[in-house]
Amino acid sequence: MSAKVAVLVFPGTNSETETWRICRDAGMDAHVVHWSRAATLPQYDAYVLPGGFAYEDRIRAGAVPAHDPMMDYVIEGAMRGKLVLGVCNGAQILLEAGLVPGTGELRKPTAAFTYNAPGAHFVCRHVYVKLAGDPSRCAITAALEWDELIPAWAAHGQGRLAATGDHLREIEQGGHVTFLYADEHGRVDADTTPNASALFCAGITNVQGNVLAVMPHAERDAWNFNHPDKREGSNILAPSGGARLFESMAKALA
Amino acid sequence: MTMRAAAIRLKIPDNEAYTALAALRRLGVQTGRIERSQIWVFDDDGDERDFAQRVMANESLFNPNKHELELLAGDRPREGEAWIAELDAREEPVRVRGVRGGRRYVAWRLFEHGHEPASPQTVRAAVERLLCNPAIERAMYS
Repeated sequence: MSAKVAVLVFPGTNSETETWRICRDAGMDAHVVHWSRAATLPQYDAYVLPGGFAYEDRIRAGAVPAHDPMMDYVIEGAMRGKLVLGVCNGAQILLEAGLVPGTGELRKPTAAFTYNAPGAHFVCRHVYVKLAGDPSRCAITAALEWDELIPAWAAHGQGRLAATGDHLREIEQGGHVTFLYADEHGRVDADTTPNASALFCAGITNVQGNVLAVMPHAERDAWNFNHPDKREGSNILAPSGGARLFESMAKALA
Repeated sequence: MTMRAAAIRLKIPDNEAYTALAALRRLGVQTGRIERSQIWVFDDDGDERDFAQRVMANESLFNPNKHELELLAGDRPREGEAWIAELDAREEPVRVRGVRGGRRYVAWRLFEHGHEPASPQTVRAAVERLLCNPAIERAMYS
């Protein structure tokens, strides 16, 4: 039987449908769970926090939903080893909740995805994210190849990883950076990073490797019709490269 | 050159302040009301008498249909108030006649269930639990 996965919806989440679809297509028994049904969350094997603008990004992106009762269940599950994936706004929530990088106290964030630089402009751009190290460092990426490139859409105003110097060193030395912004050839530098993110970071995991926060939307390049030049095949409904992340998560849950 | 500070806040209902109030109450920080302002601290070469008019003439800072402006006596938070700024914030160029640049803060002013400003302990709890992410922001409070 396939793993039961909850795709969480906070007030203001807007990417739950495509996230649910790719989780389902990847082989997970995915269900959309709204905030009013938070008490049902313990029955799920894993949690996916999709993109959007939960609580309208009030105070800071992710700050208010990090304290939503739904996150009590997510934190409890993560502490017990359940897999948790956050995409874009979901990633911001995981950092505000202190689940990633997870080197401090819960709900006392040590890093954030904050305003893009320079200029704090919203970015909407097709990117590739490159696996930064050993795929098995994070359970969700364990079925990917070394240096694997995944196409995705960066669509955020607050996607720049930022932290104090000590915490950035902790993130780098602890192997928390999971994905780097890259081009389609795997080159990683300031030009391939659309938001001046520290360490060129596009995705970050926790100490145990069961929680992953990724800013670009792999679920928006999960079928060929999402891909900018559709070069991966003429069947527009065939899986595109972004599906690989969710297929890897499904394998981890199998 | 003189330092002058102004608070610009909504005169229409502020949903963000209400969300902060509700979230803080859920976190156990008891407060009766919250006001949110945008604080600008300017280095001003202009005339003090028309300072407010000069600021309000900038339509990207001030919309008369929804904002009100209060001139502040100093560049420090008032009683019951916390000012939040990004750690890497720099002086920003602003188009206000006579002004060279400005520093921007988001101010949260907390009040007890009466009308008194909240205690320093309450403000500190609100800052530490919700209003400031120390990884990217710094807070000043009275």
